[in-house]
Amino acid sequence: MQNNNLRSKQEQSLESTESERISFAHQAEEIFTRILDFYGIEWQYEPRTFPLEWDKDGNVIEAFTPDFYLPQQNLYIELTTLKAKLARYKNRRLRLMKELYPEIHIKLFKRREMREMLVKYGLYDEASQFKTDSTQNQTRVGKENLHAEG
Amino acid sequence: MQKDKSFESDELEADIQEVVFTASEIQQRVSELGKEISKDYYNLNPLFVGVLKGVLFFMADLLRMITIPVEVDFLAVSSYSSDARNRGMVRLDKDLGTLITSRHVLFVEDVIDTGLTLNYLLSTLRTRHPASLEVCVLFDKPRVRLIDIPLKYKGFDLPDQFVVGYGLDLRERYRNLPFVGLLKSQILLNKISESDTSR
Repeated sequence: MQNNNLRSKQEQSLESTESERISFAHQAEEIFTRILDFYGIEWQYEPRTFPLEWDKDGNVIEAFTPDFYLPQQNLYIELTTLKAKLARYKNRRLRLMKELYPEIHIKLFKRREMREMLVKYGLYDEASQFKTDSTQNQTRVGKENLHAEG
Repeated sequence: MQKDKSFESDELEADIQEVVFTASEIQQRVSELGKEISKDYYNLNPLFVGVLKGVLFFMADLLRMITIPVEVDFLAVSSYSSDARNRGMVRLDKDLGTLITSRHVLFVEDVIDTGLTLNYLLSTLRTRHPASLEVCVLFDKPRVRLIDIPLKYKGFDLPDQFVVGYGLDLRERYRNLPFVGLLKSQILLNKISESDTSR
């Protein structure tokens, strides 16, 4: 009986979607993956970190980890839930990224574009979250700095 | 705001901050597209396929500019929504009534942004082996494209803002505007916040 229960849980785990297994930094990212899943688009979450700056000893001091990679499209996606002023930091790193890795295709979804996408799909409750600032976004920036330090 | 002389609706126009494409600009471009398509598909008896319901306005105007024999059919698709996500993947809610095998099919769309829905529909139609399958879109929003889709015919690039009219809606409103306009930001925010009574 115990084994049956165990197997049942394992099967449930296998059946759970990739979106449910990953701990996303922001709810918008999870919603984004559900939309991609709905349309059968393959995605990977933060599969690669790109070093952006090095100290004189060659240690990475700043790096950038795009949120998603769509293998079939060979496209990295960065979602920004930050308000325009706070997004400057992210924009600067995206510019650096394009300078250092011109062969990498990356697209930034702005906060407003995220909101409009959610509106398009009728997700008004989720879209209304983009009307106010989010403290989660601050956490996100902090987390990316840790990437660089690591 | 630049007014459209043939259209008077204080109720709808009051929500528009600025006209992006006037009715006459749209009609001019639709006419150009009609001529180009008529020339390219001469003697091919094409089938125009559209997805309900935003394309209705563009399809009706485009068809009237086509000078060759043409047939038309429509699809309906379940777009992603808070209800649809519980039903799994995208699916056709209404299929074509016309066989498209060996037919020259022109997929007519009012707007393309991420390309997710269009990619699904084109993939579905390709399995039916049409003689050709091309896309004609009136409004393009390439900045947010996720899936690269070749567009044989294109009307306008949309600005990086929320626009409505000529088929483009917000909560089913504004489709019937004969022009495309930028919605006032406060109206947009208010509409997003409205409790959804349609669910």
